Amino acid sequence: MTENGAMIFLLRRAAHRSPWAVLLFDLFLLVVWAGSGSSSFWPVWVWLPTGLVLAAGWWGREKRSPLTQQLGYAGLIGLFLIGIWAAAGFGNFWPVYPIAVMGLGIGLRAVTRGAASEARVEELTVSRAGAVEAAESQLRRIERDLHDGAQARLVALGMNLGLAEQQLAKDPEKAQEHLAEARKAAAAALQELRDLARGIHPPILADRGLDAAIRALATHAGIPVSVDVELAKRPPATVETAAYFVAAEGLANALKHARASRIDIDVHERGDAVVVRVLDDGHGGASEVKGGLHGLRQRVEALDGTLRIASPDGGPTVVEAVLPCVR
Amino acid sequence: MRAVIAEDLALLRDGLTRLLRDNDIEVVDAVTDGDALVHAVVRERPDIAIVDIRMPPTFRDEGLRAALELRERVPDTAILIVSQYVEGTYARELLADGRGGIGYLLKDRVMDVDAFVEAVRRVAAGGTALDPEVVAHFVGRHDRLAALTPREKEVLALMAEGRSNAGIADVLVLTVGAVEKHVASILQKLRLPPSDETHLRVLAVLAYLDST
Repeated sequence: MTENGAMIFLLRRAAHRSPWAVLLFDLFLLVVWAGSGSSSFWPVWVWLPTGLVLAAGWWGREKRSPLTQQLGYAGLIGLFLIGIWAAAGFGNFWPVYPIAVMGLGIGLRAVTRGAASEARVEELTVSRAGAVEAAESQLRRIERDLHDGAQARLVALGMNLGLAEQQLAKDPEKAQEHLAEARKAAAAALQELRDLARGIHPPILADRGLDAAIRALATHAGIPVSVDVELAKRPPATVETAAYFVAAEGLANALKHARASRIDIDVHERGDAVVVRVLDDGHGGASEVKGGLHGLRQRVEALDGTLRIASPDGGPTVVEAVLPCVR
Repeated sequence: MRAVIAEDLALLRDGLTRLLRDNDIEVVDAVTDGDALVHAVVRERPDIAIVDIRMPPTFRDEGLRAALELRERVPDTAILIVSQYVEGTYARELLADGRGGIGYLLKDRVMDVDAFVEAVRRVAAGGTALDPEVVAHFVGRHDRLAALTPREKEVLALMAEGRSNAGIADVLVLTVGAVEKHVASILQKLRLPPSDETHLRVLAVLAYLDST
């Protein structure tokens, strides 16, 4: 019995590693049988298991092959089995069972794959629309910020300089006031441009990576923020940027709405994905309907990631994004 | 002179108010959206309304639409649009009724206080003030101007901005007589009726350019 088990084990390994050797072996048995002059066709008892093992090997290996290819293999295996049946002297048509099983398997696979790819198409359509919308609304926001911010400040700056110029001779004191206003407007315009640039792509993120960029965010928070970034290597730029904005938006949300007293930001790897988690001890009730969290979801889903927001009334709030690095 | 300002950004509203007051123009009201502008102008009947294009609630062209409404309802009030961008389409809409007392300037122009105040006074007096950018929009894409000499093109652009012959002479460092000669030549080459009034001249030029 144990010998039999060992035989089957060896056979399986052989079938997986070198299917042609197994086929040769089966042929060899045929020759031995022909030579032995035995009336009973005994090689069938070796052919049957080796045939099934080979078929399983093909099946496993060709898992991702197109349906037609699978059908082809199944047909070959079916013919092979029928050949054995014929060589064994016909009789009870046993190949019907394995053929039926193969047919059922392929049918099931076809149905589930069809449904899966339909679902995927749906998912991609939604996430693509979301990505386009997110980009569009971000551009609008940038235009508005420029128009109402830096551009307006520069106009005010120029206006104050003009007034100062006009007043210089007749009212130097007033001119000085205008100049001071102009200097303030220049500083404010610079600040707004810097903030805007940071909102588009923070320079420190490109220079130093996620850890430094998130720590820089944390230092401006005004409450204790613990930052724990554990990544073996830098993720792709798109993932890194998305991860940064998850942290930034989660942080901003906690500071603005949750009245939190401390915040934990944690970034680590899970398989091929980067997981970003922002946890605060505030009063919860974060809403995705308006504001940054909705845009964040679109951003994450555009990268095939998932965003989970758990924020029961009374807190705590957890914002967690899983961002796959390959697809 | 009495003015109403419509500008939603406090920074610019206050700055503009101060600039005008410093230059002896009374600001009788400063409002932040189109509806308030219409009300203020109907109530105050100022000499001029200085209007931003983009204002609440939709932040699109509220100011412009309010201005067009005011052109109909309060024809005596001149309108000066100041905006952070110029659109040829908007200029065309503003100029469509062929009357003076209209201006369209980039906000950048407030930096030259004297020129800006001069433009405000000119528009309030029934003249025109079009930003060089607006003029470039009209003038830039016409090859009918090929017949003009480079000097005449310069004169035409300044004319279109709403400057008088004396103003053009100042800018180009020419005598008024020389400018008059250029203007006559331009009008003749473009086959436009001769005219003394600045704003009529401007509108004729723009109407001509716009019709091509």
